[in-house]
Amino acid sequence: MQRLIVSAVLTVVGVVAFARGASAYPQFQFSSGTTKCGQCHYVPSGGALLSSWGRSESGDTISMAGDGAFLHGAVKLPSWLALGMDLRLAATRTDDGGQESPRGAWFPMQWDVYARAAFTDSFSFFVAAGLRGEARPEDDAIGARFSNPGERFISREHYFMWRPSATGPYARLGRFYAPYGIRFVEHIYFVRRYTGYELYNETYNLSGGYVSDQWELHLTAFTPPPSAFPDALQSVGARESGGAGYFEYRFADMAALAPQFRVGVGKEVSRYQGGLVGKLWIDKAKLLFLGEADFIRQQVTSANYGQNQFVSYLGATVFPIQGIMLGGAYERFQENLAVKGTGRNSFIGQLNLFPYAHCELVFLFRYMIVGDTGQPAATLGMLQLHYYL
Amino acid sequence: MHNPPMIPRRRLVLVAAAAALIGCGSADDTRPAKWSFISATIIEPSCATVNCHSKIASRAGVDLHDRDTGYNSLITRNFVVPGDQTGSSALLYLMHGQGSLRMPPDAPLPEADISLIERWIAGCQVPCND
Repeated sequence: MQRLIVSAVLTVVGVVAFARGASAYPQFQFSSGTTKCGQCHYVPSGGALLSSWGRSESGDTISMAGDGAFLHGAVKLPSWLALGMDLRLAATRTDDGGQESPRGAWFPMQWDVYARAAFTDSFSFFVAAGLRGEARPEDDAIGARFSNPGERFISREHYFMWRPSATGPYARLGRFYAPYGIRFVEHIYFVRRYTGYELYNETYNLSGGYVSDQWELHLTAFTPPPSAFPDALQSVGARESGGAGYFEYRFADMAALAPQFRVGVGKEVSRYQGGLVGKLWIDKAKLLFLGEADFIRQQVTSANYGQNQFVSYLGATVFPIQGIMLGGAYERFQENLAVKGTGRNSFIGQLNLFPYAHCELVFLFRYMIVGDTGQPAATLGMLQLHYYL
Repeated sequence: MHNPPMIPRRRLVLVAAAAALIGCGSADDTRPAKWSFISATIIEPSCATVNCHSKIASRAGVDLHDRDTGYNSLITRNFVVPGDQTGSSALLYLMHGQGSLRMPPDAPLPEADISLIERWIAGCQVPCND
């Protein structure tokens, strides 16, 4: 109980954060020599706080130099407590073809604080909290970017977990993303945005599964936050209840295939989606391929109309030397497979530099073609500075 | 010597790649020009994102997070002129980026979606939130 109180106090008092999405780097699976996401993260399906193994990897394998431990190893926390923080500052340049384009912006993208308290070897409680960042604040003054922290406070994730060992069964109860798909750090990817995993789409879940060396299964029942909950506990996006499943089978520590499904039933709209995730690591070339394709049946009850959608991602990432990750990807989302001109194609280039443990520099460029009637392309360039504690 | 069917397979791959890039579908848009459909499938996923017109952020006082709230926001704030046959409703200007950012600024809408919204506005006899 004392640990729970300490965690709650740390969270409430210590948080001044611009919350974003839970950080996960699916590109590090296989490429870092680690085959399971749950090896580096406390959560079996990956994301958020790094375990001691993950922190060690972040210094020794991912970055060019440095110590990945909490506070660079200056402070050793008791074994029952884990703390962390993500801070991201971003500068963007967008050109969408509108009369006010191109436009530049800079903003605090994320400042999230994490706390995990273990009550026993099997049970733990995790909370992530921060402030919502704003890419386009209505008041453009510098001070406005840091104003009204009370209104922007949000806790995206908070849950109890039972996980007796690194492999085997586990269960989670609380708020988080139901495991599904390739969960990139950047929420702009179509396979996140159009499948129910946009920014702050976290739901309340009862989730469980099994992790072994060769395969893992994650099953989740989810529901949106009750309307009566305060903004700090609310989510955005479709208010659906349902279930999701993700089964990953790994081959020879270098490849994986993962069928998945998600059913979300809402008052006005229901979505039935399923797809496949593929991962292939070619060690000789230090090259990783990631792919995902999902077919979505969207049924709009109130309009008595159903439509079929398709969303996909195919990307390649190369790790030329330790501390550098360079990737390119193609994405497609077709909003209605029966109606021409409802597709979006995007080409993304991304360079991640990890010069020193805890530090990351991201360059991202996206070129998006919308529809097929000669509409202007939309481009996005982003520079991001990321520091994690 | 047996020659494997390389050319047909390549063509198949090219056709599949082209189909994936260009997309499929008919030129006839059979989707209902009704607010219940437009709100749920176009407006909410594209515009009611967390820092824009969600219930939490309500940028520029516009909340598009569900059917009724979104309809009221657009009608009472005059972003939509019911029955407008000329395509001059402010919402359409914004989506075309005329005098502003092209809305939504991070992922503009395909022209097919804007045309559907235009048809809903043109046929709108208040109330038209069905």
